[in-house]
Parts: sequence; structure tokens; C-alpha cells
Amino acid sequence: MSAASPSIEQLLAGGDVKACCAAAYEHPLIRWLLGEELHPGGDATTRRALELIELGPGDRLLDVASGSGASALLAAREIGCEVVGLEYGEGAVAAARVQAEAAGAGGRVAFVVGDAEALPFEAGEFDAVLCECSLCTFPDKARAVGEISRVLRPDGAVAISDVVADRARIPAELDGILATVACVGEALDEAGYLELLRRCGLDLIEVESREADAAAMAERVHDRLRGARIVAADQLAGLPGGIDAAIELTAVARQAIADGALGYSIFAARHPG
Amino acid sequence: MEQPPAGTRAEHQRIPGLGPTASICPVCKRSVPAEVAVRDGRVHLLKECPEHGRVDALVYGDAERYLAMQRNIKPGESPLERQTELLDGCPRDCGICPEHEQHTCLGIIEVNTACNLDCPICFADSGTGERGHGFSLSLEQVESMLDAFVRAEGEPESVQLSGGEPSIHPQIIEMLRAAKDRGIALVMLNTNGIRLARDPRFAPALAEIGVHVYLQFDGFEDATHMAIRGKRLQHEKLRALERCADAGVSVSLAATIERGLNEHEVGAIVRFGVDHPAVTGVFFQPVTHSGRFLIDADPLEKLTNSDVIEALCAQLPEWFRADDFIPVPCCSPSCRSATFAIYDGDDLVPLPRLVDIDQYLDYVTNRAVPDLAVREALEGLFSAKAAGGTEPTAARLDCVACGVSMPAELREVAARGFMIVVQDFQDSYTLDVSKLRRCCVSEIVPDGRLIPFCAYNSVGYREQIRAELAANGDGARPTARPASR
Repeated sequence: MSAASPSIEQLLAGGDVKACCAAAYEHPLIRWLLGEELHPGGDATTRRALELIELGPGDRLLDVASGSGASALLAAREIGCEVVGLEYGEGAVAAARVQAEAAGAGGRVAFVVGDAEALPFEAGEFDAVLCECSLCTFPDKARAVGEISRVLRPDGAVAISDVVADRARIPAELDGILATVACVGEALDEAGYLELLRRCGLDLIEVESREADAAAMAERVHDRLRGARIVAADQLAGLPGGIDAAIELTAVARQAIADGALGYSIFAARHPG
Repeated sequence: MEQPPAGTRAEHQRIPGLGPTASICPVCKRSVPAEVAVRDGRVHLLKECPEHGRVDALVYGDAERYLAMQRNIKPGESPLERQTELLDGCPRDCGICPEHEQHTCLGIIEVNTACNLDCPICFADSGTGERGHGFSLSLEQVESMLDAFVRAEGEPESVQLSGGEPSIHPQIIEMLRAAKDRGIALVMLNTNGIRLARDPRFAPALAEIGVHVYLQFDGFEDATHMAIRGKRLQHEKLRALERCADAGVSVSLAATIERGLNEHEVGAIVRFGVDHPAVTGVFFQPVTHSGRFLIDADPLEKLTNSDVIEALCAQLPEWFRADDFIPVPCCSPSCRSATFAIYDGDDLVPLPRLVDIDQYLDYVTNRAVPDLAVREALEGLFSAKAAGGTEPTAARLDCVACGVSMPAELREVAARGFMIVVQDFQDSYTLDVSKLRRCCVSEIVPDGRLIPFCAYNSVGYREQIRAELAANGDGARPTARPASR
């Protein structure tokens, strides 16, 4: 993040959770800590999600919260579909466009700035929707899923991969604003996601747990934060509570994953038409 | 010698992809066919001598890891010059013969056979008085050996002067300087530290040349010292380290580890090392059943690399797990595993947690290596030529950190990474010529040959060369001892 950008604390003080999340994910050290994929299992999880919704060549795919564009580019490259990536962070959209140009995919992949809770698209415009590791950070989840349902054509399918949390067993430390940035605090349990899909008129295809990927990612983040603390990286000073709090949080998350209170799943569902 | 009970071949499982190999009989040293097999999750070498019967030797304690690390075998590189011809076949034509598949990363020169200790386990069968009878090389001999190394390698990066106890050779300083003068970046002195402790001028003299000290350091308990070195040495080891720290000499601790003796000290050795200002790395070496330690060794009880790694992870679970130790691409992944770590006086994080190293060092399943410069740097780091805290290693660590876009502050600390190596040498029980052909640690001998270290110690080269040098009159000279102060 450049010196001119507002710090995470400043964004939080402004109460702008969505801007805060987006800014955190644009932070170079956070990006380095999480790797380029920003979700458990990386490309393998993305491929599996696209497989579950049977995405095919020529399909029109919307990637909600497309981040740096890695998954959108993967779908275009490996499956040969047309992709629109929607992302709240302007910096990420600009970076994704650069990536798309570099990959020579400019013709089939477009990135737009927009809000998942008010998708700037017509009803029934897409054959498929992908939403990875981001729904749990949206303040109004029912509205976001409702929007996904609206832009899907009849018989179109959506793959939502996200953190699954058993609220009753989640340690108190995982709640709160920092946990929201880290994709944990606002997560639903499996029944919660299923209910959300049902309420938005979507029929479940399959739920697939990816908890080993979640454990590996939590461990990696934990280790890399420890690495950052060893060098006293003042780059992380912007994190609320500082780096010790972040390390403590990842330790708690790892334990919760080991206990089965926290996990990661792909939910595939279909628009009934 | 009584044969240990060997399992029948039916109890062992052949390993697909690891074909038959060859070895030697530990008794008569003749070449015998051998095969690598798995039993109870461990890797064994099986062979049979027509005269001395069957031998079953433990090679690696974790068969799953042994199989997985086959993908880390790096294609060999040829030296510029080979010294011998193919006559009797591996391991009889060392070296380096035309069949050898690797160049030399680390050259070792044993400058004498005399020592100021009489360690019960000495693989070089050195010692004081009569035990040290053998040879003491002249400066000219060492210079010509260094020249042979330069001819073979072009720009050799690492050399280690050893013995005997090299520090008691009267011209050791000149010899170390001769190595530096030939542009060898990492010049190491393999020492028990007694002279460093007793002679206050020695560490500053090493500092002036830029020598890295490879200090025998087996643990902290008297029982460990008595069993391995035959003497209580704790006080002198600490004094030697203090002098190195004061003089600005970097030190790798070299710990010989034996099953049931000092395995329980490996965690304490690392903790001590990371906290000591002079120490930049630790080398763990499972004891070699060669030289004086051949007799009574049970090849099924040998400690292997995986045992050391497991012990370290069990003793420091908050710092290490087994996959932090990367099997080195050169020489053989099962011979050496290594890691680098960053440390702040409290927490320690191994480099493989910060960089996906496997992505670069997989020579079989890889589709595309993300960055060839990073691979080359990693190959240099995870090799016999590296030692923590030395200039070439710091430069390579920085190249890796830069290549993986590590944040700047982390880069700076990563370059000072603490190195931990687990290095198993083959003995006459475990010698596998398919691994020996890839060996990149060589004994440089006075006639200019470069003999792979494990062949030197197990096949009979050591005894032969020592006898020849002693007969030539290179040995009878008494060696001056440093003054005790």
C-alpha cells in the first residue's frame, strides 16, 4: 500500500468494512502472506468448484470478488469461457487488468469495479457464477446471494466456496472486525449457507469440504506472520492490535480447524429456471 | 565378526524404480551386488558376500520420505578434469573416474593424522602418540592438492582442511591462506577446538584470513563427551566459541549423533547454537561405522538422517516439522537434508515455511520452474558447499528472497539465515554405489586424486593412502603441539 492510501485503522474508524477488507487484501505484505490465490487450496479448489458447476467452453462466467483476477484468468485459460470479474477494490481491478493483458486474455476476460450487493448486470445475464472466499465478508449475505441468483440464467449454476464456522464452538477471539478481514468472524455454519441458498431460490447440487486446504492455509499464514514478526516488520503496524494479535488469531483459527469448528467448503447450486 | 541377524528377502519389499545396485562386503571389501528394499517402513540395503554371508543394513528410517525424495535428485554436472581411468568399476577406480556422475562441491584435505584427542569413534583412526602415526603433509603438498582441485573444478567454492587435528599442524595458517589465495570463497577448518580454546592468537589469525570454523560439538553432557571423545570437553568448547565470537570468526557446530547416546541433545544443540553470537549453523552427523568404529557396530541399529530429523522435531515441535528439512539435490537427497531458519532470540521460523522450495527442487514432476535463478540459488544453498553465515550463502539467500518477492525487511534477515544440516555418510555396511556415483564431497589426496568421501572411508582408500604416505616418510615427523596457556 502506498503512503497516500488510508491505513486499515483509518478505514475501520470510518466504519467502512467493505473498503477495509478490500484494502487489506491489496496490502503487499498481506498478499505475500496469503499467496496469490487468497483462498485455501489455491487453483486446485478453484478447478474443483468450476467442475462442480460443469462450466464449459463458451459459457459466460461472473467471478464475484475477483481480487487480482487469478481465478477468472484460470477459468478463461483452462476452460475457454468468457469471464467478467467484479471487485470492490479499484487497485485490485487495475492489477487484474494488467494481468489479463499480460496473459493475452484481454478479449475474453473483463474486470469491473462494483458492489456484490448491487451487481451492475441484467437479470439472467450469466451461465455461471463463482464466488470464492468472500461471501462471508459481505455484510448483507442474503442480498449478495439474491443478486447472484438474479443475474444467473434459468438452469445456470453458482459455486460459492467459503469458510464454514460452527458458531456455537467458535472461540470468542475469532469474532470481531479483524476476523472479518481474515474471512472468519462472519462465516456461517453449513446449515446457514444451505438456508441462504434456499431462501434465494437456488437448488443445492453438492457441498464439498476442503478442510485440509483450510488447515494448510492457516498454518502457512501463521508461519509467515511469525516470520514477519521476527523482522519486526513495521509494515504490519496498520493491522488492528498489531502483529501479535494477528498471530494469536491464526493460532486460534488453526486449533478451531483441528477441532472441526472451522472449515472450508464449496457449495454448488443451480438456478431452478 | 559375527553377522547380525538378517531378515529374509521375502520380508523385504523391492522398491519400484530403484534398481539393483552394488556395494562391498564390510569384512573383505570385495564388490558384491546389492539391492535397496523396504521393511517395516524403513529402507534397508541387502547384500551377500560369497565368503562372509549376508548383510542387512539400515539406510533410512522413513521409507515414505526416501521414496518421495527421489524426485529431488538433480542431474549430474561433470568436473572439468577427471583423474583416473575405468579399470575395476565402482568403487575401485576413484577418483574421479569417468563413471562418476557429479562434480565436487566440497573438497576435503586431511593435513595430518596426529591429533590431540583419542576419540573412541574416530572414522579417521587418528590420535595422540602412536595412534597418530601416519603423515603430516607439507605446505607444498597441500598447495599442489589445492591446485588439483582448481584444475578439476575451475572455481571451487568450498574446501575444508581436516585431519587428524589440523589446528596442531605447524603450517596450518599458511595452508588456510593458500586456499584463500586460490579464490576459494569458503575455507573451513574442521577442528575439535582445543587449540582455539588454549591459544588466544589462533582465532584472530583465522579471522584475518576469513576462515569458517567447523567445530566438533556433540552435546553438553559429560556422558556424551566421554563416549564420543573420551574426555570431558565442555569447558574447552565454550572457551573456543567465546574466542571465535570475540575475533569475529563464524562457526558451524558439527555434532556426531549416536543412537541411544546423544539423540536427546539435538534440540538443545540447536537452541544453544541460535543463541550463540559466533554460531551460524549446526551440522548433525549420524555416527559413521568406519575407521575405529567399525568393530561391533550393528548395521540394523544405525542412526539415520530421518531419525535425527524426527528427534529434532520431537524436541523442538514449536519450531520444526519433518518437511522443513529439504533433501538436497546434490549429492543424494537421502545423504543430506538441510534447512535455513530466521530467529529473533525467541521465535524461529524455517525458510521452507516462507518459500515453497519444493516448487523449485523437484526434477521429476515439475511442469515449469517459476524462476531459474531462484532454483540455482537454492541448489547452492541446499548443497555440500554451503555453510550458514558465510558470504556465498548470504548472497544466495538474498537471491531467493528477492526472487520470491519477499518483503524487504524479511529479505535482510533471511540472508542471515541459520543453517541446520543433517548429513549421513555411507559406511561399508550402507555403501550404495548408485549414490556414491553422485557424491559431491571428495577427499583430495596428495597424488591429485579426488576420492568421494564415503568411498575413501569404507573401501580401503584411507588405509592405503595413509600407509603409502607413512612409508614415503611423510609421517614420521613429530608434530609440534601448540603451547598451553
